[in-house]
Amino acid sequence: MNTVNYLGLLRLLAPETVLTITGLIVLFFDAGVMRRQSIPRRQQVAAFLLSAGAMLAIGWSRHYSLADPNSTSMLVIDPLTQLMKQVILFLTIFTALVSLESKFTPHVGEYFALLALATLGMMFLVSSVDLLMLFVSLELTSLSLYILTAFQKDKLESSEAALKYFLLGGVSAAFLLFGMSWVYGLTGETNLIRIAGQLRDRATDPVLLAAMVMMLIGLGFKIAAAPFHLWAPDVYQGAPTPSAALIASGSKVAGFFVLARMTLAGLAGAEGSGVWNGFAPGWVPVLAVLAVLSMTLGNLAAIAQTRVKRLLAYSAIAHAGYMLPALMAHNTMGTIALLYYVTTYALTMVGAFGVVAVVEQQTGSDAYDAFTGLSRRSPALAVCLLVFLLSLAGLPPFAGFFAKFYVFTAAASASTRSLGLLWLVILALAMSVVSLYYYLQLLKQAFAVDPPAGAKIIRPLPATLFTLVFLALLVLLLGALPHLLVNKLQAALVVSGL
Amino acid sequence: MSTEQHPYIFLAVFLAVAVVFPLIPIALAWLWAQTFSPAKPGPDKNSTYECGLVSRGEVWIRFRPEYYLYAILFLVFDVETIFLLPFAVAFLKLPVGACVAMMGFLLLLLEGLLWAWQKGVLHWK
Repeated sequence: MNTVNYLGLLRLLAPETVLTITGLIVLFFDAGVMRRQSIPRRQQVAAFLLSAGAMLAIGWSRHYSLADPNSTSMLVIDPLTQLMKQVILFLTIFTALVSLESKFTPHVGEYFALLALATLGMMFLVSSVDLLMLFVSLELTSLSLYILTAFQKDKLESSEAALKYFLLGGVSAAFLLFGMSWVYGLTGETNLIRIAGQLRDRATDPVLLAAMVMMLIGLGFKIAAAPFHLWAPDVYQGAPTPSAALIASGSKVAGFFVLARMTLAGLAGAEGSGVWNGFAPGWVPVLAVLAVLSMTLGNLAAIAQTRVKRLLAYSAIAHAGYMLPALMAHNTMGTIALLYYVTTYALTMVGAFGVVAVVEQQTGSDAYDAFTGLSRRSPALAVCLLVFLLSLAGLPPFAGFFAKFYVFTAAASASTRSLGLLWLVILALAMSVVSLYYYLQLLKQAFAVDPPAGAKIIRPLPATLFTLVFLALLVLLLGALPHLLVNKLQAALVVSGL
Repeated sequence: MSTEQHPYIFLAVFLAVAVVFPLIPIALAWLWAQTFSPAKPGPDKNSTYECGLVSRGEVWIRFRPEYYLYAILFLVFDVETIFLLPFAVAFLKLPVGACVAMMGFLLLLLEGLLWAWQKGVLHWK
């Protein structure tokens, strides 16, 4: 009668279970015990509870039993998924600590519980190998993120951003689901591995190509690749800064991982070719179009921005463009490069948003002018900002340099035919130079321009400052010793075989 | 032209049928009108008919938003019942894990209700 082993399932999904319970405890504790306390106190307690739960989940995710890789289950638990879950959980902890600074809502428990739920969705997203499971976890993530975007009720921008995010997200989810339904119609399977087996000898079926484009539209929205990027600037700017940090970091990691799983595992054999003068239909040329558009549009539009959160949004679009060539290489080296890039990028982005959150809270604005003379008003913050922005620009010795280096070498050496994806690498290098301009503009404002008369000293909370310094050191460490993460990724990839 | 060579021929056939099928009754109705009902236009006949008659008086009524909160809370009990009944029927045959999973599910719903209660949603203003 009952073939599902629930106890085994709960044991396999212990990190997720722990996180669910954490979310419930945070909500219950805040609504019950902490009801009469001041908001900063409630924030501290909620952030502590969430971080403790996430740490427990991280600890638990290290002990797992390897499920049968050939099984046709809905979820896969292997070293790689566990590693990515740990990354996402760490990103959530950093987001929670950065949230301490901002005072945008009296609904503290709900905010932190939703952070836990969004993280839960991302963790399931990383594990899922089934179209249905994948869609459900994507929706769990997205719905939580929509609410997190709308959390600043006294700001009209926040509601507007959430509505845009919700409507566009709904449309993109419809595309994804429609594409999935066609794939199911073609193969009669929802498991990605089995789908790949079914599709092996009909990779150029026009129905498959249409379905593939629709699924890539849905996932392209999630990673904010042009031309599906229009929500990103508005959402990053309108959302409360800590929510934007999670959207830019954890959601990005999960989005890229699921895109990699979908293309590398589910659509294996339908790659096509993206080499210059040798295009063949498949998902690689589609991603090539997205990459070219994202890099060009993201970098050029970022030059014209005057608000820092908008700048980070356009730079996020550009970074999505840099990451796609690693996926297009569709080999182990490319996957390692992609995961290294997205991990270090997410850490950097949480840090950058953390700095913006502090400045925004204390000056009331995230315009360039608010950062004028930051090095005089808060030297520690300014140095953190320097590290994060230079890492985003891809300068050594920061993590961003090796991230770009790995991606570009993986893409350049992917195919020996007609110099492979070298054309894309050349474009990406040129665009990286463009990106240096707008990062340095902001840094010039922070370091070279004198603070205006009467500008207040900016004092971040000790916990926030500690988080930001820790993140900056982490970015420096991963830039100086990239093999720490790369070796882990490599070992995990060998076992999981993605 | 066999279906093996052209697997999508059915789609073309369906498309053609879908276009022709509604055209036949329209054409028949037009022929009928030509013979049996000559045109007699008038103000009532020419007025636009859309979703009923033109309403009289104020159409904007107040609708209290509390109803929607109750509707959402009703979902807690709604979903609970759907799962509780099969759970109760199969209770004796269930393994421990299934009971734990079900209790977790009930906890989720219960906390939703408690949270709404604490937020004062159940208090009719």
